[in-house]
Amino acid sequence: MFIALRDLTFAKGRFLLMATVVALIAFLLTILSGLSTGLIRNNISALMALDISHIAFEYNDKPSYRNSMVDREMWEGWREHPSVIDTQPLGHTMFNARTKDDLPLNEVVLWGIEPGSFLEPAVNRGEQLGRLENGVVIASKLVEKGIDIGDVLILDRVLTELEVIGVTDEHYIGHVPVIYTLLPKWQEATYGPPGGPPPGEKLPSILFDYASVIALQIKPDTLPGELQTTDEDLGTITIDKTAAYEASTGYVEEVRTVQMIQAFLFVISAVVMGAFFSVWTLQRTKEIGLVKALGASNIYLLKDSLGQVLLLMIGATVIGTLAAIQVGRLMEGSGFPYLLVPETVMASAVMLIIAGLFGSALSLRLIMKIDPIVALGREQ
Amino acid sequence: MSLTVEHVQLVLGESNQRVTVLDDVSFNVKPSSLTAVVGPSGAGKSSLLAVCGGLRTPTGGSVSIDGVVISDLTPAARTRIRRDQIGFVFQQSNLVPALTAIDQLLLLVHLQGRRPTKVDRQRALALLDEVGIANLMDRRPNQLSGGEQQRVGIARALMTSPDILLVDEPTSMLDQVRGQQIVELLATECREHRVATLMVTHDHSMLESATEVLNIVDGRLSVARSANREKLL
Repeated sequence: MFIALRDLTFAKGRFLLMATVVALIAFLLTILSGLSTGLIRNNISALMALDISHIAFEYNDKPSYRNSMVDREMWEGWREHPSVIDTQPLGHTMFNARTKDDLPLNEVVLWGIEPGSFLEPAVNRGEQLGRLENGVVIASKLVEKGIDIGDVLILDRVLTELEVIGVTDEHYIGHVPVIYTLLPKWQEATYGPPGGPPPGEKLPSILFDYASVIALQIKPDTLPGELQTTDEDLGTITIDKTAAYEASTGYVEEVRTVQMIQAFLFVISAVVMGAFFSVWTLQRTKEIGLVKALGASNIYLLKDSLGQVLLLMIGATVIGTLAAIQVGRLMEGSGFPYLLVPETVMASAVMLIIAGLFGSALSLRLIMKIDPIVALGREQ
Repeated sequence: MSLTVEHVQLVLGESNQRVTVLDDVSFNVKPSSLTAVVGPSGAGKSSLLAVCGGLRTPTGGSVSIDGVVISDLTPAARTRIRRDQIGFVFQQSNLVPALTAIDQLLLLVHLQGRRPTKVDRQRALALLDEVGIANLMDRRPNQLSGGEQQRVGIARALMTSPDILLVDEPTSMLDQVRGQQIVELLATECREHRVATLMVTHDHSMLESATEVLNIVDGRLSVARSANREKLL
């Protein structure tokens, strides 16, 4: 690094310009990382919070929560599977809702679950499901919209009335806040007539034999083949929890879009660094030839150049990332779907540095090819 | 240690474009002597220097330093020889732009895989003092005149106490007076440090200080003035 460090101060204008470009890319990557994580949270946080390993959908090439319908035979069939630790039916329906005072909530997703089961969310305020037949635990996002414990929500079209009894974390699916109710109430709202059964009558019992999907806790050492046989027997398709995220509306498209932008930024970083250091190397051909003529080995010069690239990349990446973290803090508090996770930020910063090193590999090749004869004023 | 060149031939280019740059060149440079090679442009002076410095491999013949044939060594071994045993003085401006005068010298210590010590710094300062520019040690090449840059080049070439000093057109960018001063300085340093020095130049007015003068034309060498100063040609 003897020459590299002195080059940095000697040509500080050029290196500053380059560092600014890298810092801006690092800034963008960190912001994107925050947006990506924020969007993921905003799309599947309710799924992420579930203590499950797999979800069984009604068989479909592209399983989705919206189109899946499973019956009692299916979830009881899964309950008997030797690899299943526990299983629960889960109801999923999207509704428009409003308060009794006509405050619109736009869309909410109603999840029907068994109280006390492993699907039940932890409640931050209020009480758990079970005491009230029409009680609901709402995602905290709805509290920001003015809903609180004791309020009554009315689901549009079906006119089912639900009373808020508790508040849980920010649980979303498909960017829509989730409200949890008892499975029978969900079945009534989803399959029953608007306004519930006529006075004095009961809904047909068959309505209570259906749900949307089956949440499964499966032993970790279970082979995929063991599940496949039961899937074929019961007419379901079982996927693990991570794959089940993709069944959430728009999840794949959003994640891929952000990942594509990130990939482009990595490529841009590699190209920019490659171009800069190639031009820098070409400009220094005579100087590098001179140092070689004085007795510098290729290894010495490669270490020197690599050190310079690393120093520039690390310094600029740290500055860009720290700046983005500061801006991100403001975004987190302003309602954006933005969440910075240290591991993700670190990963994208390291990837950026690797991309820069990869790009500069071209200049390292140029260095190796320079003939020390140029020190004598000869062309290579 | 002496530099011995025996029947060196250097042919460049391929098939019908082959050019014989050096043709059966033989001579010997002893410690403390300054051998000058003169000749017109394109005569093969710099090629001779490149072959002697291990920057070019001769097509035939051999170049040896104290009996070690460097022309037979691998590129990596030749790099080590250049680093440890050969000092180069190039034409003006052949300094590393980012380095100060003293760093130009300390770079050679670094190339040897050592971190420059206080002793190295003192030696570098002493060498800069010898060539008369110790007071400019913190200046970069763009802050030095042509003559000053050439003095830095000479000090740098002596930094590793080389056995052989190879000097390429040291006065090409200097006026007559400064050129003369540089060549005299080289001759002095060559004697004081007991270095075998080979200098190529096209400037005949700079030959007074040389121990021996060789003439090169079309790659062929002839003795213009022998070591005992008897003029042969």
